[in-house]
Amino acid sequence: MSRDQRSDVEKSVASLDEVIRSSELILTCGPGGVGKTTTAAALGVAAARAGRKTVVVTVDPARRLADALGLDDGAASDEPHRVKGVTKRTTDGELWALMLDAEQTFDRLVREQSGSRKQADAVLNNPVYQAISGSLSGAQEYMAVERLHQLHVSGDWDLVIVDTPPSRHAIDLLEAPDRLVGFLSHPVYRTLTVGQRTFAKITDAASSMFLWAVKRLAGPQIVEDTVEFFRSLANIEGGLRQRAKQVSELLRGDDTAFVVVSSPRAEAVGEAEHLLDAIADKKFPLGGLVVNLIHPMPEPLTDDDEDLLAGIDDGPLGDQLDWHRELTSLAIAERQELVELERLAGDAPVIELPLLDVDIHDVPGLVGLAARLV
Amino acid sequence: MADTVGEVSDADPGWLTSAHVMVVAGKGGVGSSTVAAAAALAAAREGADVLFISVDGRPGMGPLLGGREISDREQTLQRVNGGGRVRARTIPADQAFGDYLELKGVGGLLRRAASAASLPMIAAATPGLEHLLVLGKIKELEKDRNADLIVVDAPPAGHAAPFLRSASGLSDVVKSGPVLDQASEVSEMLADPARCKALLVALPEETPITEVIELADDLGDDLGINLLPLIVNACWPDRAGLEKTPAMAARSHKLKLSDSAKSALESAAAFGRSRLAQQREQIGRLGEARDGPIITLPRLATPRLGSDDLATLADALVRADQGVDDES
Repeated sequence: MSRDQRSDVEKSVASLDEVIRSSELILTCGPGGVGKTTTAAALGVAAARAGRKTVVVTVDPARRLADALGLDDGAASDEPHRVKGVTKRTTDGELWALMLDAEQTFDRLVREQSGSRKQADAVLNNPVYQAISGSLSGAQEYMAVERLHQLHVSGDWDLVIVDTPPSRHAIDLLEAPDRLVGFLSHPVYRTLTVGQRTFAKITDAASSMFLWAVKRLAGPQIVEDTVEFFRSLANIEGGLRQRAKQVSELLRGDDTAFVVVSSPRAEAVGEAEHLLDAIADKKFPLGGLVVNLIHPMPEPLTDDDEDLLAGIDDGPLGDQLDWHRELTSLAIAERQELVELERLAGDAPVIELPLLDVDIHDVPGLVGLAARLV
Repeated sequence: MADTVGEVSDADPGWLTSAHVMVVAGKGGVGSSTVAAAAALAAAREGADVLFISVDGRPGMGPLLGGREISDREQTLQRVNGGGRVRARTIPADQAFGDYLELKGVGGLLRRAASAASLPMIAAATPGLEHLLVLGKIKELEKDRNADLIVVDAPPAGHAAPFLRSASGLSDVVKSGPVLDQASEVSEMLADPARCKALLVALPEETPITEVIELADDLGDDLGINLLPLIVNACWPDRAGLEKTPAMAARSHKLKLSDSAKSALESAAAFGRSRLAQQREQIGRLGEARDGPIITLPRLATPRLGSDDLATLADALVRADQGVDDES
């Protein structure tokens, strides 16, 4: 019964080689805890070794992986760092890495979109802006795609790889630009920013309710700051909308590829299926599916061996038999979980990766993983 | 330190219900929602009336606990022999906001208008407010003694710490008003060991163990939240027989294996040995880094947990709760 299923991992010849050679942008996305960041870094290693000048944008990497990529905790981690030890041959490209800093990215966006330094400072120095730039709902997701756009248009890179923020609703990322536009179109926001009205003249119900609620809840000072923040944001609103539109188009472009990463656990599979559906639905380009952390399929016992061992249920051999049965049934069940997921990937390459003995947290480990991906 | 699955060292008996609120948290993928559900079931089996709160309404948790999907309307998912039961609900931020306004004496119509039209904007202007509203609602439920135990399945991934930090973070921006009062009342609850404790969950692997140590430092030492025993989820049961080669194992049963049987058994055993070695090493590392007790829960050989599996995990927690482990 297990013969067909057991050969899945071995027979897989799918590869992300084409994706890392031809894309200009790659986004890895998927549920938390499945090795997304490691996959993004390994794709970066593969691309650099294929001759491309590559930068990997990570979000919240595990510490040892961050160390391996040369990203310490300093503020400078937001700028690209060269990753050492990846490329040796003259035909190789380069691998660089940076850690997403949502606040700095937001600041950069505000400066770019402001007509003058004064306009920019009005936003940047506002206490409400300072409080929300890192924590605005969805800000991290939006800033990940914004940073991707900044790096892409800089012209410095052949390939930009973005590891998306861990999220149970990974779909947030895809909708992030639209959400910003939605925020700017909110009736309360419109009333507060249109024209030169003063507080006293704001009479529409939703806006006065808003101001009243903020005042009641958080005190009068924050009301002033909030209105001031929305006003100053209005100066750069056109730019923000324009940028959100560009980013949205970029994510759907021919040179972009989404790589979905999952594990065979039911919760992760459910989220990844949801994500694949949404990618298809919103017409984002799918570059591939990586299923990580798959338990190995033990070699099967022959019928003769099963007969010989039928009566053994304890002692050292009992332990061995129990374990063999347990691992086999888990490995089979995991492969069944993947059937529907892999169907949803359609024509895109599907890479299955085994659960490894140790976590990958150094450059040689990434090089090994890169070889499995391409 | 406990290195045997399903056992606990040094924990007081009755730890499950030692505070009114149990906040369950862990990085994405470690199974913290499952552990939260198992803890709710375990406490109910000990006779407690339990309210399970799913902060982000993760699908599948209601059926796992024997009922329908969890919604913002409270429902009883399961009654157990001995009088205990598990009720469940989510707390959407807009509903918490409406409840809060009601508590402050704001009338119905106005309240609906305010919560529907303004919450996204107010939340944008007041970072962490949504989290605080949810925690504030939990605080109200705790104050009313709505249940013997409130189990909170906290947001996963990178979001558990900001969720719990929302109360202390908000006071940096908001200098006066009811939000500040709300924030200090929530902080008070979080820091009071009789009212609230956190159950942190990890896997017996390097990165999750490192991250749970950081989370414990962050929540425990930094935010002053009292910690329950640390949970290491999905631990393979120790099987001493795996240490031997299949041939040696067979010899102690006076059997001789075929080459194919040796090879088949070894293909599983080699993997098992390395997982168990990693598991022992990582649990040992956690024991060295943190002083408190550690509970290990068994890895169940399925990618899709069902009600029976949840009962197995709850049993392991109840056994730990009764302190049956006298060996340590």
